Amino acid sequence: MKFGIFAAALLAAPLGFGATAHAEDTLVPLHWQSQGTFGSYDQAALQRGFLVYQTVCASCHSASAVHYRDLTALGLTTEQVADLIANIKQDNQPVTLNSRLIGALPKAQAAATFGGAIPPDLSNMVAARPKGVAYVYHLLTGYQPAPADVTLMAKHYYNAAYPGNQIAMPAPLTDNAVTYADGTKATTAQEASDVAAFLSWVSDPNLDARRQIGLRAVIFLIFLTLLAIATKRKIWRDVG
Amino acid sequence: MSDQTKTWLGSRLPIAHNIGNQLSRKPLAANQPYLAALGMLITATLLFLVLSGVVLSAYYVAAEHRAFQSIQLIMRDVNDGWLIRSFHATGTTMLFAAVYLAIFRALVTGSYRLPGELVWSLKLVFLLLMLLVGYLGYAMQDSAVSYWSLHGVVQTGAGLASFPANIFNWVFGGPAGPGTLTRLAVMHGLLTFIALGVLALHYFAKQAITPPAEKTVPLHPYYTSHHFVAAGVYVLLFAVLVFFAPHLGENPLNQAPANPLLVPAVTTPPWYLLPATALTHALPGTNGGIIAFIAAFAVLFGMPWLDRSAPGARPGFLYKLLVVVLALDVIALCLVAAAGPSTINAVLTIVFIGWYFLHFLVLTPLATARELN
Repeated sequence: MKFGIFAAALLAAPLGFGATAHAEDTLVPLHWQSQGTFGSYDQAALQRGFLVYQTVCASCHSASAVHYRDLTALGLTTEQVADLIANIKQDNQPVTLNSRLIGALPKAQAAATFGGAIPPDLSNMVAARPKGVAYVYHLLTGYQPAPADVTLMAKHYYNAAYPGNQIAMPAPLTDNAVTYADGTKATTAQEASDVAAFLSWVSDPNLDARRQIGLRAVIFLIFLTLLAIATKRKIWRDVG
Repeated sequence: MSDQTKTWLGSRLPIAHNIGNQLSRKPLAANQPYLAALGMLITATLLFLVLSGVVLSAYYVAAEHRAFQSIQLIMRDVNDGWLIRSFHATGTTMLFAAVYLAIFRALVTGSYRLPGELVWSLKLVFLLLMLLVGYLGYAMQDSAVSYWSLHGVVQTGAGLASFPANIFNWVFGGPAGPGTLTRLAVMHGLLTFIALGVLALHYFAKQAITPPAEKTVPLHPYYTSHHFVAAGVYVLLFAVLVFFAPHLGENPLNQAPANPLLVPAVTTPPWYLLPATALTHALPGTNGGIIAFIAAFAVLFGMPWLDRSAPGARPGFLYKLLVVVLALDVIALCLVAAAGPSTINAVLTIVFIGWYFLHFLVLTPLATARELN
């Protein structure tokens, strides 16, 4: 079934672009730099993804396990992060570096707006789904007109990637919803790809450190094991 | 240690000195395979889990709806907390892999046969304790899947007859409520120390029945260097999993917080609990699952007597082949349990569990009796 959703989303994604994207848009980024055994985060994509999160997602969704101070991991200095969050407010108060990433809309109000569905916290969204980073991407690009035989529930939208295909969240991303500082063209697919990368960092902020330490640890242990084998052979030589 | 320190320690604390001396000179059979290090590796892993568990307990909050947040704190804000937790989670995977392998090895080599019945029983007691400790640790995470699993288990316990319910209340502390996770955390630690005691008993019981070998070598430096190789490979595998697959065999939903309003569609437990889960879901009703679980362990405990071979006979090819088929059967059972409930899976579960009991109650006595002649 998992494969079915994945395949359906794969087939559906280009159709979705056809309706909204530009003719020259050929971006189908089904690969993220952090995937694979030795992958690491693409910090430029994470920074773009944070911009999408803060501009679009944060209206309703929190990522409360993360503090703004943690954003230095995206390759920014503390001063740059402070500049970045200067205009962000929570409960009409400016946020500080130690504030958590909390959605602007109170949960009850958001639920009332979206037909009773509470916007989930995004702290572990990528980790808690199979193939989470691709799932988020396909969800965000999976909005389509409902097929003729599907009757949508009130305040629900048709989404090819969402289990059950009826989602209470309206399509959040549009072309040029944000303006990227690095000049990257802000297509819907690009925004979805970047915010999926950002949310995978939110789910697993230690991935880079883990793999760096891991590589050194494994190389050391291979050397140590070879040494142990040589020692054992030498000691046991006369036993036969 | 310098000679001066040795003399001083020997005169002030002779027992430590003597145990060290005797252990290092202990004669051991010269032809042991690398798998003979499994007992040492299991003990070391359990001690490592105690150590990492003690560090985690400094930050873990054993309370419903706060436990998950405290684990998030460990993973994200505590310095190197993610590493310690990964050690603890992956250590559990390594421990269960080693225990299942040790039990498979005992079945293949026939070491459960008389006079090995007590050593064999202690292995099974250890596995039972580890299943319980492993389950408690899983439930303590208060995740989207473990929350519902725990509530199911506690409800099952509440429906039991008086005698098992007493044990049940002792472990789980009655109905799920504000104090449940605190009680689980206490039992999680306590049962671990009892399991360490069982490991010690297993060691001494094994010493008592090991026949004198024709050719022996002293433990040091021969088996210290030998076990160092086994430990090197084991720790290498451990490190690969810690750093490159920290969530191996885990339901992704275990990384989402508990939602008391939403029962998850896929409730797969960690891989090491799959055999037990498949058994408890095999028969209908509350008692059916418990009967299947008890029966599955009863036939394991009965192995020394279900085996009809002559004393001292080596296990034959047919019997060994059957044990390998049994291992494949249990793996297939786990895969079916992981795939989730469906009509076909319900049938397959019954087939695989049926083969399990057929193996112990019919095929083993037949195969071993044949080898008698």
